[in-house]
Amino acid sequence: MSYVNISEVTYTYTSKQPPILSKVTFSIDRGEIVGILGPSGSGKSTLLRLIAGLGTPDQGIISIADQVVVNANTFVPPEERGVGMVFQDYALFPHLNVEKNIEFGLHRMSRAERKARLDEMIELVQLKGFMKRYPHELSGGQQQRVALARALAPKPSLLLMDEPFSNLDTELRSSIRSELRDILKRAKMTCLLVTHDYQDVKAICNREITL
Amino acid sequence: MGFKTLLRNIKLNTNGWLLISLIGVAVILLPIFSIFVSLFETPNENWEHIKQYLLANYVLYTIGLVLFTGLFTVIIGVTLAWLVAAYDFPLKRFFHWALVLPLSIPPYIAAYTYSAMLSYTGIVQTTLRSFGITPNHKWFDIMSFPGAVFIFTFFLYPYVYILTRSYLERQSGSYVENAVLLGRTSFAIFFRIVLPISQPAIIGSLMLVIFEVISDYGVTSYFGIQTISTAIFQTWFGMYDVDSALRLSAWMMVGVVGLFLIERMLRFNRKYSASTSKSSQLVAKKLKGFSACAAVFFCGGVLAVSFLIPVIQLMVWASWTYGDVVTSAFFHLTLNTLMVAAIATAIIMFFAVVVANVVRLQPNRFSITLSKLILSGYSLPGAIIAVGVLTFFIALDEGIESMLLLLGRESVPLLLSMSLVMLIVAYVVRFMATGYNAVEAGFEKVGTVYTEASRTLGYGITRTFFKVDLALIKGALLGGTILTFVEIIKELPMALLLRPFNFETLATKTYQYASDERVIEAAIPSLFIITVSVISVLLFHNIGKKLER
Repeated sequence: MSYVNISEVTYTYTSKQPPILSKVTFSIDRGEIVGILGPSGSGKSTLLRLIAGLGTPDQGIISIADQVVVNANTFVPPEERGVGMVFQDYALFPHLNVEKNIEFGLHRMSRAERKARLDEMIELVQLKGFMKRYPHELSGGQQQRVALARALAPKPSLLLMDEPFSNLDTELRSSIRSELRDILKRAKMTCLLVTHDYQDVKAICNREITL
Repeated sequence: MGFKTLLRNIKLNTNGWLLISLIGVAVILLPIFSIFVSLFETPNENWEHIKQYLLANYVLYTIGLVLFTGLFTVIIGVTLAWLVAAYDFPLKRFFHWALVLPLSIPPYIAAYTYSAMLSYTGIVQTTLRSFGITPNHKWFDIMSFPGAVFIFTFFLYPYVYILTRSYLERQSGSYVENAVLLGRTSFAIFFRIVLPISQPAIIGSLMLVIFEVISDYGVTSYFGIQTISTAIFQTWFGMYDVDSALRLSAWMMVGVVGLFLIERMLRFNRKYSASTSKSSQLVAKKLKGFSACAAVFFCGGVLAVSFLIPVIQLMVWASWTYGDVVTSAFFHLTLNTLMVAAIATAIIMFFAVVVANVVRLQPNRFSITLSKLILSGYSLPGAIIAVGVLTFFIALDEGIESMLLLLGRESVPLLLSMSLVMLIVAYVVRFMATGYNAVEAGFEKVGTVYTEASRTLGYGITRTFFKVDLALIKGALLGGTILTFVEIIKELPMALLLRPFNFETLATKTYQYASDERVIEAAIPSLFIITVSVISVLLFHNIGKKLER
């Protein structure tokens, strides 16, 4: 059985509209980077939210690392799913600096472990010297790396990325794409990313799914 | 949906936050519900008398006050709003915010002040006499129906002014420019464009004015005008007939609900809505010469009557009386007021935050209904809420008493209904909306994305709230707290009806002085209330300006 299984997932916003996701089924192997392609409004982001537990599907089963997180009679809340997410506009906590943002998800670790993990993450995304800055003092690319470090820090079993490049300049994109790919490979992350740009998928992913 | 799925969804949505919300809604609804129940009980003889001889008068006077005050507040409020929004004249920037200030003077304080100023010994008549003019003192009789309309108009028009002005400033630019290009005169523009397009703002603010008028006790009782609110007081205090007071409240509540439905309908049937989402700023037109003078004179006149004159008079009186009034007893009652207001505000903000958070995180039909119910006290006059709270607590006391008897204890009659708990509950019912709206606006601005980020990082709803949400809504929370606190300090009718024996607040003390014909001594508590209100009004004005940007 694959590492992540999405089986017959259906989701409707309001009963008046046809379902935005209809019996979506696919799976992801461990360590694989999969891209979901589709035009805006095709339900890509919604699918990510359902996997993260930020929404409940009308029907279908989602399992992550051999654990069913949602089906007709179970619902594991997002904080217990072990899923990391990089939001489209990063959602860095505006009242916390870079260091505190990255440490945010490490509350179950001891102080020493936390410090070690923080250093590791800073090293990984190369943000030394920016630890005390606040999100609004960072460039778009730096913000994205903080968001990535924050999501990776608690060692999630699955990383979800929602349009990771949409807020970046086109010149920056290609360099950041390869950077992201390296980081994900080094971290041996299983990753599902959503984009409307085929270039993103081609540069980063092992495989693509079109919605 | 299968049974197991239903079970899953119930489990998913049930948490401490929801349970606390349910408690909050119960606190608000039980008093209101106890009034409603009384409609189905058989009335006593007193009620027959009231119904036959008095009720028609009460209703007539209430409606009369509402109609005239409504008309005049709209005339003054909209005119000022249009002047300030569309024209440039000397002191305009000052008037822009200063015209809001009358809102900080509760109408009852204005009524006491003006009636003393215009009395035989007041400054107006004595000054005239010193010039050898002895006017007929009937000319200065403000303690009458027109006098009440005057007071309500000049101290409530800012509602209309604020909402209409900000609406015009945001919405009307392109329409007015077009009308000018089409060769319309200013006069025509005002009646053909400004009035129709600002209709939603006018109706919304008019509702606020109407609720204030029907809720009033201070002005109408002092001027001897029989409205439904004063009638509730009289049947209660004068005849000790709580049943009839309850019945009056119930009928008044039916009226208020009807009014509410009418407003909804008016809004729903609104014919105009912006055809473009791009709203252009109104460019102010410069006034010169005579028209500039007239504008300054008009704005200045309204401000003088509605703020400067009463405040200066109160200051003069305060300087005469502070030695007698500022005693340890005064400090004690100020402390009382602040303490009760602080407790009630804390309870309100607590429930407001919890319910708003539930609605935000679980926006389903159930939670949205909860949020509507928790706001239901806002449109109800203070007297009604007081009657409802009293009825509910008497029933509760009877329940406690019989339980104590069952347990073989000595009975303690009227345990709760003699305590401050009642007044605090009444404040919570009445002013929940003030706190809730502020918190809701704060949450709306922040959105849910930070909360979601925190949850994917391993924090539950409650820890997320303390680590993330609270820091982000701090400003809105503070604003709501101040607004609510000040509303409670100003409140008169509920404090009068529900305060325990020998317990005074600043508002009731002011009332007390006024009804003992010692208006001059009321100056210091009045100024205290006005000062706190001015701070909150200015703060609110600033917050509003920031939101508009």
